[in-house]
Amino acid sequence: MSQSELRGEQRAAENTPETDDAPSLTIDRRTLVKGGVIAGAAAVITSKKTAVFAQSLGPPPGVAPPAMCTEEPANSPATTPFVDTLPIPLPGIPTLLSPIPTKAANTGAGEAARDDHQRWDEFRPLIFYHSIAAPSLHQFHRDLSPTYLWTFNGRYPAQTFLGIYGLPALVRFRNSLPIDHPVPAIPQLTVHLHNGHTPSESDGFAGDFFDSGLWKDNHYPNVYAGVDDFGGIGDPREAMRSFWYHDHRAEFTAPDNYFGLNGQYILYDSKDPGHELPTPGSLRLPGYYGVTDIPLQLHAILFCPTANGRTEAFFDGVPAVDKWIINGKIQPKLTVRRRKYRFRVLNTGPAKEWNISLIGSDGQQKPFTVVATDGNFVQNPFVISNRTLLIPVATRFDIIIDFSQFNAGTSVYLREAAAQFVGVATPDPAPGLPIGNVVMRFDVVNREFSFPADTPPIPSTLIQMPNPIVPDDSFQWNFTRDGDPVRFRINGQVFDHNRVDHAVLKGSSEEWVLANDVIAGAWTHPVHIHFEEGRIMSRTHTNRDAAGNILSVDNVPLLPEELGRRDVYRIPSQDRLTIRLRFRDFVGRYLIHCHNMAHEDNFMMVRWDIVDSVAELTRKRREIDERRMLAGLPPQYGEGAKKGRLV
Amino acid sequence: MKRRELFTGREPMSAATCCKPGVSRMASLIPNASFRTQDNQEVRFYDDMIKGKQVMVMMMYANCETFCPLATQRMVELHHKALAPRMGKDLFLVNVSLKPEEDDPAALKSYAEAHHALLPGWTFLTGTRYDVDTLRYRFFTHDHIGIDLDQDQHAGLMKIINDPVGRWFHADVFASTRTVLDHIHWSDPPKGLAERLEDNRKLQKRIDQDRALYGYRKIA
Repeated sequence: MSQSELRGEQRAAENTPETDDAPSLTIDRRTLVKGGVIAGAAAVITSKKTAVFAQSLGPPPGVAPPAMCTEEPANSPATTPFVDTLPIPLPGIPTLLSPIPTKAANTGAGEAARDDHQRWDEFRPLIFYHSIAAPSLHQFHRDLSPTYLWTFNGRYPAQTFLGIYGLPALVRFRNSLPIDHPVPAIPQLTVHLHNGHTPSESDGFAGDFFDSGLWKDNHYPNVYAGVDDFGGIGDPREAMRSFWYHDHRAEFTAPDNYFGLNGQYILYDSKDPGHELPTPGSLRLPGYYGVTDIPLQLHAILFCPTANGRTEAFFDGVPAVDKWIINGKIQPKLTVRRRKYRFRVLNTGPAKEWNISLIGSDGQQKPFTVVATDGNFVQNPFVISNRTLLIPVATRFDIIIDFSQFNAGTSVYLREAAAQFVGVATPDPAPGLPIGNVVMRFDVVNREFSFPADTPPIPSTLIQMPNPIVPDDSFQWNFTRDGDPVRFRINGQVFDHNRVDHAVLKGSSEEWVLANDVIAGAWTHPVHIHFEEGRIMSRTHTNRDAAGNILSVDNVPLLPEELGRRDVYRIPSQDRLTIRLRFRDFVGRYLIHCHNMAHEDNFMMVRWDIVDSVAELTRKRREIDERRMLAGLPPQYGEGAKKGRLV
Repeated sequence: MKRRELFTGREPMSAATCCKPGVSRMASLIPNASFRTQDNQEVRFYDDMIKGKQVMVMMMYANCETFCPLATQRMVELHHKALAPRMGKDLFLVNVSLKPEEDDPAALKSYAEAHHALLPGWTFLTGTRYDVDTLRYRFFTHDHIGIDLDQDQHAGLMKIINDPVGRWFHADVFASTRTVLDHIHWSDPPKGLAERLEDNRKLQKRIDQDRALYGYRKIA
């Protein structure tokens, strides 16, 4: 008997039906029900089990399947502005899990197949969450009837998980999505924590999705990058604050996200402790979650009313969305006190880019301060007062708005450059500000005595950016739309979950060039690199004449939001970005992809691996070059390519 | 018969009948136009080719010299390697001509013969320019005019339609055998829970075997 078979036997033995909470999934439902009737005393447990089965086999009770629109409506129904209050996503509530999470996948109890958790004993989870993906109804506006969505724990927006660096967490994602439904999304789940320093088996690899009825434990060590070098919980300078989690199922990321499978995840440490008290090391930014520190999740939907009295979200590839959604509401309002607030702005996609600005009731643009880009503090906070802030898909910006600059009783508006469809005749809320451009309204009031007092001024330096790392090697990723047949390609190939396209050694660092050299089409790609934050070194733009000949290559000065660390890099046509990254602490399969989810679902994605040993690196790189040769593509490492560090 | 009826193969949609819960949307998304097979039989695209089935749809034309023959070859190879037991039973392949003006049923038949592609479950279709374009737009649209107008952009990409499930999937036929088969497998109708769990256990076994052999997970 082989070792793996032995382990399988062992695992099976550990999960016999007799143990209290491991449900025997080999017994079919009828047997269970029958058993419940006969066994009497066991009836309670049995019916509980039956409920779990029932959930996974069809829509749960109470949520009737949607009646989808068959034709794209010209526009969404009309909605009156500023009637709903901005909802604030609930914090995740820790719980106990049964069966107890294990290092190896507990397939006997229905856990999805995976590699063993890495560094499990070192970062054994202490906080547990249970997040169940299931259908539910959500009302996006008072004037709209409920919409059928796929949500985590029945809520849209989903729960925000609040964690602390050094306190490893584990989220059990259970797939209870219905199999029989007409939504163009797919009931298969692989949840990616964007951009956590997460071991590969918990990173939501696009091909690692699991079916309805199964569950998977995602282990989030909540450590800073650099554990191997710094020991303990890593290098505190690598701290990230605002993450988000979302489904990453290959081919179906766009619809699964459009229908609501995403949420936010926040990590605190002593610098940014989740409160405003003067504790050592704290920057004292507005920090009470839900009170002065509020997530703003941007989404856009095309609604259509259906015959059965519901308003469904229309999805057909890339729909012509015309309602701007913020935290699950259309044009909500929020009462704010005259003090500073922190908003964690996130664009949940699937494809719309946002250009936001703040407009006062006098029609003038008002300043707000950006303190973090993609969850990383910037060295020097910068103010957006005379331009819009561009938010590509999946990008996060932590911004601070100081409402003490406004008089009590006035309103301030969050403006999006593109207008939405409102349909209710409304006068301009401020001079020169059409109602369609307003995403939400802030109503400013005086601070009550009991409300937390304002925080000190935002420090002019939040962190000291370390010197750029010295890369061991360099590599180039070409994002194109070409080839034969024409496709979205990265380095000449379309996504194949079974194929590695680049291998790097754990602990090494590389300089990567992200190049978008397509001449036709002017595609812009917000490129996302899993696992590690990168530092942008430079951006160039190539000018070409009509025939495609290069006229000049210009250096484009970096914007303030590009000076901090990032994990989404927006690359307009003819741009090239040079970034530097390090690959630390964990190994396995990771992804690079265009986060325009329509492109991603059309295979604009590559798998790259972090490997443990030089032998594995050599083997994988040789395999990559051999495969490229067979496909008629130039090699990446061997002869004819720039010599790699170790190959 | 009204144009719309011809197109959708259903009664005209009204507010009361347009949306039946739980009914596949495919019927309203996929044209039901009339096509002719390589054997010169008239078929309705949705009713005869798609309805209730799991079907791979590809675009080609007979005198294509670039990737259509390669794609056909690739599918023939996959047919013999792995798909044969399913083809014609619960899995079908439909090749639609991009150049219906040139491709009459006889031309399609000789193309199929030349590529040894007269296999169970395989159909080659030709129709009118209007219907072919409609089909192409429904399946292969990118919301980008430059791509959507260029008919050569669609060969090699295969749509896999699973009508009972009400979804379509896609796969690159030039990817590795394992990957194409994975994509076809991903579009299979959902299995019962017991079977899903069994598949999951098998996958875990393969992962464990990989780790024992290579020290890392080789399969995706």
